[in-house]
Amino acid sequence: MERLSEATLHALQLLLSGDPALWDIVGVSFRVSVTALLLATPPALLLAALLAFARFPGRRLLVSLFNTLLAVPAVVVGLTFYLLLSRAGPLGEWRLLFTQSAMVIGQISLALPIVVAMAHSALQEIDPRAWETARTLGAGPLRAAALLMGEVRYALLASVIAAFGRIIAEVGSAMMLGGNILGYTRNITTAIALETSKGAYAQGIALGMVLLLLAFTLNAGLHWMQGRSRLQPEYLT
Amino acid sequence: MSALQLRDITLRYGARSLFEGLDLDLHPGRCRLLCGDNGAGKSSLLRVIAGLQPATRIRLLDPPEQRPRRAARQLRRRVTYLHQHPYAFRGSVLANLRLALPRGLGRATRRARLDEALRWAGIEHLARAEAIRLSGGERQRLALARAWLRGTPFLLLDEPTANLDAAARARMLALLDALLADGRGLLIATHDPQHFPAFGRDRLRLAGGRLGLDRAAAAPAAAQEAG
Repeated sequence: MERLSEATLHALQLLLSGDPALWDIVGVSFRVSVTALLLATPPALLLAALLAFARFPGRRLLVSLFNTLLAVPAVVVGLTFYLLLSRAGPLGEWRLLFTQSAMVIGQISLALPIVVAMAHSALQEIDPRAWETARTLGAGPLRAAALLMGEVRYALLASVIAAFGRIIAEVGSAMMLGGNILGYTRNITTAIALETSKGAYAQGIALGMVLLLLAFTLNAGLHWMQGRSRLQPEYLT
Repeated sequence: MSALQLRDITLRYGARSLFEGLDLDLHPGRCRLLCGDNGAGKSSLLRVIAGLQPATRIRLLDPPEQRPRRAARQLRRRVTYLHQHPYAFRGSVLANLRLALPRGLGRATRRARLDEALRWAGIEHLARAEAIRLSGGERQRLALARAWLRGTPFLLLDEPTANLDAAARARMLALLDALLADGRGLLIATHDPQHFPAFGRDRLRLAGGRLGLDRAAAAPAAAQEAG
C-alpha cells in the first residue's frame, strides 16, 4: 500500500514537472489516435447513412458485420495487420510495420465499426417524416441526409467520442503494429505495459492519470453540450 | 400555371395492390377534397402524387412522362406535401423556414421572403422559438409557411385539421383560402369533410382502391349538417 502511495506521489511530480519523456509519450498517443479518428469518421458516417437510408441487397448483412466488428479485440486487429504488413506479407512492400502509420491503420480499423454501428442506430431512430419533409421542401438526397445528420448531431458526436475512447486506450494493436519504440511509437498504453513489467510504477500511474483526465474531460464536454440542447420531448408538445 | 394531370396511378407492394389505374387532375386555384375511411390509402396516394414514393405505374400529361422515377422527380418539383402532424426540424422557426427557401437568392431577398412568410402565417412572434416546442396549430402554420415559401403550384394536405381546436382550425382554413387566392391548387385528404364547408364542393372518395366522385357531395350541404 505504501508503495502505491509513494508511486502515485512520484507520478504527480512527473506530471507537474513537465517531464519531457512522459509528455512525448502522451504526444504520440494523441497524434496517432486523432489522425486515425479524423480519417475514420467521414467514411464511417457516410457508411452509416447509406446503411440507414439506402435500400440495397446485403444491407442487413453489412449491419451485422459492423456490429460483430465491435467485439473484435485490438490484439486481433493488430495480428491481422501485422501479418499483412510484415516483410513477408502481401503489403510488406509498404515498409509500414513498426511505424506510426501502421498504428494509425490499426486504430482506423478499431474506430470505424464503432462510429458506423452507433451512428447507424442513431440515424435509424430518426422520424421517417424528417426525410420526407426535407425532400418535399426541395432538398436533394445529399442535402436531406446532411439535414437528418444535424437532427442527431449529439448522438453522432457521442459515437465519435466513444471511438476515440476505444483507440486512445487500446494497447494490443498499438503494441503489435508500432513495436513500442521509445520516442517514436511508444504511446501511453504501451508505455504503461512496459514500465509496469519493469516494476517502474510511477510513470505508469502518471500516464494512467492522463488517460482518465482525458476521458473525463471528453465525457463532461459531451454531457454539457447535450444538456444545453435538451428540450421538451416531442410527445409533450 | 398548367393543371397537374395524372393518369393510371397504380401502387403495389409485392402482390398487394393499394390502388389501380386512378386518374386525377388538380387545377391551379382550385381545391379538391379526398375523402375515404382510415386505411383506404389516402396517405399513400398523396405520397405518390407528391413524388415521395415512386408509383408502380403512372402517366403524367404535360409534360408527358411515364417512367415512375422520373415522374416522381417531376412531381417533387411541382407539389409540396404536408404531413398530418408536420415535422419540425431542430432549431428555430426561422431556421425551419430557411430550409424551404429556393437556393441562390441574395441575402436581402432571403430576409424579405422569410419576413413575408412569418407575417403571412401569423407567426412573427414565434420566429426565434424552438420549432419543436410549438403547439399543434402553430406547427401546422409553420408547415404552411414552409410550403408557401417553397412555392410549388400544388399542395397536398394530409388531414390538416386533425387534432386542432375550432380556433386553430379557423386560422388554418383562412390560410388555405389565401393559398387558393394565390393560385395554388390544393388536394386535402380528410375523413371529416364537414371541416371544410367552403371547399366541400369538389369531393373525391377513395375506397377499395378506386377513386370516384363522393356520393355524399351530391346531396345538399344542409342535409349533411342535419345528419
